[in-house]
Amino acid sequence: MAEIQLRNLSKRWGSFVGVDNFDLIIADREFLVLLGPSGCGKTTTMRMIAGLEDATEGDILIGGSRVNDMEPKDRDVSMVFQSYALYPNMNVYENIRFPLKVRGIDPKTHDEKVRRASAMVELDDFLHRKPAELSGGQRQRVALARAIVREPNVFLMDEPLSNLDAKLRVSTRAQIKNLSHELAVTTIYVTHDQIEAMTLADRVVVMKQGLVQQVGTPTEIYDRPANAFVASFIGNPAMNLVDGQMSGGKFEAEYTAIEGLQAPDGAVTLGFRAEDASVVESGGQINGPIYTMELLGEATMVSVRVGGALVSVKADKNYRAEIGETVSIHVPTDHCHLFDAKTGERVGG
Amino acid sequence: MASKAQRMPRSLRTATNLFVLTWLILAAFPFLWTLWGSFKIEADFFSIANWTDALTGDKTQAIHGSRFTDAGYQGAWVQEEFWRAAINTLIVCFFVVCTSLTIGTLGGYALSRSSYRYTFWLLITALIFRAMPPITLVSGYLLPFFEWNLWGILPTTIIVLVAINQPFTLWMLHSFFQNIPKELDESAKVDGCTQFQAFRRVIIPVMWPGVITTGLFSFLLAYNDFAVTTMLLAKENQTMVPKIASFLGTTQTEGNVMFAVAAVVSATVPLFILVMFFQRQIVSGLTAGAVKG
Repeated sequence: MAEIQLRNLSKRWGSFVGVDNFDLIIADREFLVLLGPSGCGKTTTMRMIAGLEDATEGDILIGGSRVNDMEPKDRDVSMVFQSYALYPNMNVYENIRFPLKVRGIDPKTHDEKVRRASAMVELDDFLHRKPAELSGGQRQRVALARAIVREPNVFLMDEPLSNLDAKLRVSTRAQIKNLSHELAVTTIYVTHDQIEAMTLADRVVVMKQGLVQQVGTPTEIYDRPANAFVASFIGNPAMNLVDGQMSGGKFEAEYTAIEGLQAPDGAVTLGFRAEDASVVESGGQINGPIYTMELLGEATMVSVRVGGALVSVKADKNYRAEIGETVSIHVPTDHCHLFDAKTGERVGG
Repeated sequence: MASKAQRMPRSLRTATNLFVLTWLILAAFPFLWTLWGSFKIEADFFSIANWTDALTGDKTQAIHGSRFTDAGYQGAWVQEEFWRAAINTLIVCFFVVCTSLTIGTLGGYALSRSSYRYTFWLLITALIFRAMPPITLVSGYLLPFFEWNLWGILPTTIIVLVAINQPFTLWMLHSFFQNIPKELDESAKVDGCTQFQAFRRVIIPVMWPGVITTGLFSFLLAYNDFAVTTMLLAKENQTMVPKIASFLGTTQTEGNVMFAVAAVVSATVPLFILVMFFQRQIVSGLTAGAVKG
């Protein structure tokens, strides 16, 4: 059992705020992803949980007991570092065995545990190699094996895939997902890649400049972003965001007039996803000249410039038109998100 | 195989080889000359009449019945008890290296992992002390050492040599430690180590070439030091270098100069062996400190 509670957790260096008032309960066996651009405090949060960074304020509880003043070794967490941090003087076997050795676990069980862990990440054939003789993907798997070998309460992973090439990233991602399912251990995973977050997480925490923007399942975050930042950060292509005016349930901007929305009057930002909107013959809510067309293979991306922002819509893959031609775009109102133009907070949709 | 374009023209290759050869002879000649001469007597090696006497060894032949003699070595090692000086040097070197490395690794590690700004000033202060000529320290030490009756013994000299050497060791090890990523410490700590265990079981094994290189430099400093040892050691406690100097200082006695020559050779040979033995570690240590990072 390892439920993690973060209570008003803050980290400051002088006047710089790394993490601001982080409050969250991570359920036992949950796979939680901390997502955000670099410098948003996600790694700092993880390092505070690991004990590598002191919290300025707030409490960290693992399994119900406060661990703020505990050494990393006493917290029963294991961590995969972005740079893997393998011990270069030890071979793969000794690297994986190291946590067992320093923790004084019965030496008779070591061999079996190391072999089980290495089998899980398919490293059996490389046990006698030094880290320098391994490829990036293999090193990454050694780091994983070293983390799982002593069956900790909590797994911490700090951008474990960011040093791998794109192809390897996909397969290792699948392996991590499978591993976490098999081991059923509370996992906290830090990434700046929203696809990793969507594919792996039970719940995602989106952070920006030390502040939590939204906590929710991948679906919730995708379908109901709490603010304009989350909306623009999640999804590929990013959500279309158009600045305009709301009056009496009607949103108006350049080329654009959408009726039947529910939000207070005033300046707002309209958001909708490219795949939710469609190109129609006529009668759409956005009618403007085509700015650019991109053939994606499975679809055609049609873009219109609306009030300075680029609005993209996925059209049929056989759709063809000239740049500059007027196109009509239908935006279903139940897929519209409205955010306050100043604060970016969700106001309706 | 080097391609034709990469291969040097024959003339250039000959020229570079010749240059290296000339340089090698120039560099090695004093040592070889001393080694050769150490088996002659003074009248040959320091012959005023004809310098070729040193090569032929006529007078050595006349006195000892052979063109080579170990009289110099006999005189230095047995008669003048140079072995005492050798043992003293060994003791001084051993303790200087051990103390410098212990303080240096612990201090260098702490400084490299500390995030406080005073570490920079500590290192700068160390550098200033390193920049001072050792003799300036020694002259200040002399009076208190006489007063407290500490003058003339080995431990005092060891402490002074450590003090002179420590800034350098600290700097060198500090830069080695800085090249070792912090994640390694952190990973060890999460895996179950205390800070000290992380240092001992993870960092030091990685640091080994750096420790050996630094240790060797400390050894050489202690081994070769003249200023401190000659000022601080009583005659019966002298190490090799001041002992050799004292042989040279008493040229009135017949043969004493040859004792010095023989002693010089005796003191140099271990250094050659040592550097040969550790050359791989030294090279990897030096480049690791200089290039990586």
